[in-house]
Amino acid sequence: MAVRERSSIQGADTQFLDPAVLSRISGLDLLARTVVDGFLQGLHRSPHLGMSLDFAEHREYMPGDDIRRIDWKLFGRTDRFYLKLFEAETSANFMVALDISKSMSFGTHAVTKLDYARYLGAALSYFSQKQRDRVGLATFDHEIVEYVPPSTRHLQLILHTLARAEPGRPGVLRDPLMRLGDNLHHRGILLVLSDFYEEPEQVIDSVRHLRARGHDVIVFHLLDPAELEFTYESAASFRDMESGTMIPIVPDQLADEYRALIGEHTQELERLFTGSRIDYTVLDTSKPLDYALFRYLSSREKMARVR
Amino acid sequence: MGLLAPLFLLGLVGLAVPIVVHLTERQRRNVVDFPSLMFLRKIPFRSTQRRRIHHWALLSIRALALALLVAAFARPFFEDSAVAIGSTLGPREVVVVLDRSYSMGYGDRWERAKTEAREVFEGLDASDRASLVFMSRGAEALLRATSDRARLLTALDTASLSADGTLYGPALKLAQTILEESEYPNREAVIISDFQRTGWKGDEGVTFPPGTVVTPVMISDESTPNATVASVVLRRDFFSGQERMTATARVVRREGEAPAERTIVLEVDGQEIQTQTVRLDPTGSTTVTFDPFTLSDLYTRGSIRIGSDALPQDDELHFVLSPGRAMRTLVLEGASPRPDVSLYLQRALEISEEASFQVTVRRSTSLSAADLEATDVVVLNDIRFPQGATGDRLRRFVEGGGGLLLVLGERSAWQTGLEEILPGRFGPARDHTRGAARLGYLDYSHPVFELFGGPRGGDFARARFFRSRNLEVSPEGRVLARFDDGAIALAERRLGEGYVLVWTSTMDAFWNDLAVQPVFLPFIHQLMRHLGGYRERVPWFTAGQVLDLSDPAGMVFVADRESELATDVAQVALTPGGGSVALPATAGPRFLELEEQGFYEIRPPGTNPERSFAVAVNVDVTESELESMDPTEFAAAVAPRETSAGPGAGGEMVTPEIQARNQERRQSLWRLLMVAALVLLLTETAISNWISRAATMRFEDGRSYVPSNT
Repeated sequence: MAVRERSSIQGADTQFLDPAVLSRISGLDLLARTVVDGFLQGLHRSPHLGMSLDFAEHREYMPGDDIRRIDWKLFGRTDRFYLKLFEAETSANFMVALDISKSMSFGTHAVTKLDYARYLGAALSYFSQKQRDRVGLATFDHEIVEYVPPSTRHLQLILHTLARAEPGRPGVLRDPLMRLGDNLHHRGILLVLSDFYEEPEQVIDSVRHLRARGHDVIVFHLLDPAELEFTYESAASFRDMESGTMIPIVPDQLADEYRALIGEHTQELERLFTGSRIDYTVLDTSKPLDYALFRYLSSREKMARVR
Repeated sequence: MGLLAPLFLLGLVGLAVPIVVHLTERQRRNVVDFPSLMFLRKIPFRSTQRRRIHHWALLSIRALALALLVAAFARPFFEDSAVAIGSTLGPREVVVVLDRSYSMGYGDRWERAKTEAREVFEGLDASDRASLVFMSRGAEALLRATSDRARLLTALDTASLSADGTLYGPALKLAQTILEESEYPNREAVIISDFQRTGWKGDEGVTFPPGTVVTPVMISDESTPNATVASVVLRRDFFSGQERMTATARVVRREGEAPAERTIVLEVDGQEIQTQTVRLDPTGSTTVTFDPFTLSDLYTRGSIRIGSDALPQDDELHFVLSPGRAMRTLVLEGASPRPDVSLYLQRALEISEEASFQVTVRRSTSLSAADLEATDVVVLNDIRFPQGATGDRLRRFVEGGGGLLLVLGERSAWQTGLEEILPGRFGPARDHTRGAARLGYLDYSHPVFELFGGPRGGDFARARFFRSRNLEVSPEGRVLARFDDGAIALAERRLGEGYVLVWTSTMDAFWNDLAVQPVFLPFIHQLMRHLGGYRERVPWFTAGQVLDLSDPAGMVFVADRESELATDVAQVALTPGGGSVALPATAGPRFLELEEQGFYEIRPPGTNPERSFAVAVNVDVTESELESMDPTEFAAAVAPRETSAGPGAGGEMVTPEIQARNQERRQSLWRLLMVAALVLLLTETAISNWISRAATMRFEDGRSYVPSNT
């Protein structure tokens, strides 16, 4: 399973990427800076990706334009003011779609899945802001709960929204993601953070809609170790956190079958997402964040090459 | 089906109580919250023997009996009266929708349509009721829910075609309303039409009430060859001091077998003045341009006709024209002007195809009241603003609707008091030292520049401005053009009914070279048209439109004499068909509905002026597209979504007694439910007693213990 692979960034200092350590940092702003700066320091690479300074065309000067962009050489030849325009003048939109359904509040160690998703969302938004991208956020359960449109000035608003996101209601992927796709008029990078407790066909139907609208979609499937390994011992009534229904369970008799089922589930999701050219990664919420950051960085690099 | 007392359904909650208690007690201990149970297989969890359900059948019977009791108290009833009544025959409510758009005048369609409607009316029983609804772009219920067959037939005989197009929505909505208001059990809508596709929008939102039988009656022909005068373009020009009109007509032919020659005639004031012959392909169009004719009289009536065919209404197109009034422009250039200061302005205004300009250039700053009386636009070309009485006259001239253009140059000078007239305060002249300035901003939403807003609409940026005057716009002013350094080139202010425009550079080739650019001429024409309030006259209207003869703002495009708009004088409108519409003197709006094709003549009653106010009315040519839609498709779109079980049996009138009986039938289901619940409870009692007897355990001390059934 992908979550068990080791990060290839061996040089990165993962002390500040451990969820248990991060859970002791109170402010998301500080947390994001700690994670990203520490990560990049270990990476020894430029954080600026996808920028281009390729000359595109000239445009006649209009009142209100920045006079520093006037092409004075051309002025010398033509006696007219022209501006030099470049490709990729504007950065990409980076949008985080965060599932805050009740099941995301599950956690059996230092952080819940939602906390982990919060850290990831904050860190990658901060990272994208450094990239000069426009960052945005949508939290959803069975509908969009909070929506922060992409902007270069919305980082603090995003961190604040992430900090006060409260799980409470059952979640459905399709409607909120469809609505989100309708709201996003400019193509960009869309990061979906969820535990995907729906049938794989329903999940891919919900997410493929975003890909079809031209967004580069990166999917992080967040699962707690208890969900992956099912380490319960005594018989008990298991209560669905979203629907509240209860089922009597004898874990000894079920654990192997459960692990096989969730393994099939993630493999099927991986197959379907890959078929739709969507980057899919399963994340164990007890593991450091560096793996997720590295996966995101790889995806960005890949997208920059394609674009 | 509905419920009279749905709140009683809350009693069903009681069914769940014992089961819920049983299940919750069983699973209350050792609960683990888990994100989702989608992967977990349900494993039976060992419960206590005491809580196991022993007799499922008994529990089911009791639950069912309780549910039936609750349902009986909720009083269910059938909403569809036809289902409950169980009768199909009876009085009918019939609505006949008769299409009388002008396309029904094709061949003998109108007569066939009336014959179909007549057959429907003659087939009515004495107890039936019928309505007659006329359909065109609007809807009119000529007779509503009447059993008087003679009135229906008379109304049908006197009905005539309209000059209007087809729109299904209003007439169907009206028919729907009539049927919904009817208490008769049998409803029928008969729609007699040629079912033109052009009139069907698809979102009419009409659905007839349940049980309505929709019968479309198609009035059509196997082929519909038709020629139409689709449009006419009228172009004015001036030749040898006379105004001439050139008419270009577009003729369309739809269907047919072989190319055909058609004669097209231009009539002016009832006289046939030109005839042309064109060759029309079976499906094609062509344009015909007639030789120019002189336009000298007010309200000249013209018509273009092609030879009549099966649909004569679209074979002619009428128009009314009046000579265009020359826009009188007075240019004042001071006593000792710069050479050729007004030359370019004057030459530009002397060249015009549509609106003519009458230009007078005067080297004086004096203006008499008579001068202004005979002037539409005054141009102060590089002179000081007149002072004293002349200045006051000029101000009143603008407030009364005149136009004033102030061209700033070397000799212009700011004077106290101008801030109340001009759109801003102008300052000294300044040179554009960093090369020539160009026009960098134009307000394309303004009438002066609207013409230039489209692609290839004129290149103002080619003109170079070497000198101009600074202008600071006041709050009353509006900037219409700026140079590329942000300075204002043209500003406007509304003063009373008129406008004042200030151009901050000269109108010759001294301070700029705009005058030698191609865009100069149309720019000057637009400026003068705006300042002089020029409006192009509307040559015709479409049947169905309504004129408000008391509205000066709207009628300025129609009437040429102000006396025609006077609402304090009674007038009469003579219709093309020879009828008359009285237009009494009134202080309010005076509406004239243009229903017929041809010329409406409006004049005081009892008079016969040589050239009376006339308005031309033409049919909507989209109606001449005779393509039909499938009547079954049409019927399916408007048919009721829930059809009834069919007409009832009995043939009775729906009296209050019948209504009460029907209502009782619809609500009588509760009795059946009560009986069923009673039977179930008796059965349950018998089974329960039998089980109890069988399971009674006698202990040795003589006491008995009966275990719980559930």
